[in-house]
Amino acid sequence: MSDPRRYRQEESCAAEENRNKGSSRWSQCRKRGADGVVRGSQKEAELTNNTDRKGNRPHRPNSFTTPESEGPVSRIRDWGDEVEFDEMRTNVRRDMQRYRRRILAGEFTQRERKTSSGSSDSKDSRDSPAPGEFETDESVLMRRQKQINYGKNTLAYDRYIKEVPKHLRQPGVHPRTPNKFKKYSRRSWDQQIKLWKVKLHAWDPPTEEGNDLQAADQIDLGEIMDLDFDMEASVDELQYPKTSSSVSSSLPQDSCTGTPSKMMKMDETEIA
Amino acid sequence: MSVCAGVPLPKPCVLKRMEDSSKEDYKIHSFDMETQKLLKTALKDPGSVDLEKVSSVIVDQSLKDQMFSKEAGRICFTIVQAESKQNGGSVFRRNLLNRLQQEFKAREETRKRSTQEWVCLVSFICNIFDYLKVNNMPMMALVHPVYDCLFRLAQPDALKNEEEVDCLVLQLHRIGEQLEKMNLQRMDELFCLLRDGFLLQDGLSSLGRLLLLEILEFRAGSWTLSETAQKYYYSEVTD
Repeated sequence: MSDPRRYRQEESCAAEENRNKGSSRWSQCRKRGADGVVRGSQKEAELTNNTDRKGNRPHRPNSFTTPESEGPVSRIRDWGDEVEFDEMRTNVRRDMQRYRRRILAGEFTQRERKTSSGSSDSKDSRDSPAPGEFETDESVLMRRQKQINYGKNTLAYDRYIKEVPKHLRQPGVHPRTPNKFKKYSRRSWDQQIKLWKVKLHAWDPPTEEGNDLQAADQIDLGEIMDLDFDMEASVDELQYPKTSSSVSSSLPQDSCTGTPSKMMKMDETEIA
Repeated sequence: MSVCAGVPLPKPCVLKRMEDSSKEDYKIHSFDMETQKLLKTALKDPGSVDLEKVSSVIVDQSLKDQMFSKEAGRICFTIVQAESKQNGGSVFRRNLLNRLQQEFKAREETRKRSTQEWVCLVSFICNIFDYLKVNNMPMMALVHPVYDCLFRLAQPDALKNEEEVDCLVLQLHRIGEQLEKMNLQRMDELFCLLRDGFLLQDGLSSLGRLLLLEILEFRAGSWTLSETAQKYYYSEVTD
């Protein structure tokens, strides 16, 4: 007799799920499988396409939106999923309260280098949003939070935060969690997430296989078109074997030249 | 003089407050030694054990052991916290809830098979509701299922059993106030049933009636008993 609540998560969640379930090298660095079980890197060899997932209960989104439906279609949930969803929602709401307070307290001034300590996703001190001009739509925030959680639920992220404490992070060099409260277009946000996760891979645990980038082909960087590239030869270059020359702004659609080794600055205006 | 002239009414002791228990006492003595060890490890190092098994073991025992069913919430909560702290996971909670959901779905058959198991199930679900808070709030997902269980206990065929009435009032004492906050309407409906039951139900034992009257007064007093009512229900009749 549960309420048929409408969860306004969008179909990208499902798509993202599938991406995250892939048996590519990237999925090997997920700290937890879709069933929530923490996995060690030895198990990676056993994982094949989705055979593991079907056996264990996959973590599926609560609802999805198809182009045909007018709105979110709720999936029959089990209690486990429902509670996780509620927990995420209360977390997002709490984050929003905090963020609102911090904006009103005028914490976000134009400080170039200094970052405040703490461990929230929204510690972005650049480009302060004016009060009242941040994202408040709960469904958007939930979807973004879920995407952030996927990125943080990786061995790479764990290693990254252990290795680089926040106050030592250099903008441009170290990946920075996108701020879910700032206003971005859907496309812009999705790309930020993608790039952030790609950059996090620099901290992937070393694998047994010699070739680090065997799965690099699976990344579709074709969407990344109108970005400005800073010409910083950063940590990234040292991590990746030089399979590619500099990444230009007009990437070929089909092929991938390896994970980007140049810093990319996100243009926050509408990306075509 | 005393209202209950004549036959002294039996006094219920529905509220057994476990104030004597230390913080570490999770009431796991009823488990065999190996399982106790498993549970203790789960409390300290959840990542190292099979949490699905742990949740399964806990649910199984709760359905058999009345005492444990009323107290299992605490150990569950501790394991949930421990897992979250250790690796940010929620495997135990998810497994526990989904297993609980299965049992909930099968509750009618369980009730037919064994009243005791059914009563244990209700106690356990309510105990989980009480203890397993998420961000300091009760789990929304359990509100309707808990009400469903209580409504079932308020049905005529259940009110005839002292065991079931006792279970019903115990849960209302423990979580009634919280439940009411989550959904006032259903609580109102439930209490309509209880009033009807008290007034009209044939086959209600005198203890059953006493329990119902007490809970009616309890809620009417905003989930607390007045001093005189407390005396009436809980002290010895010295007649």
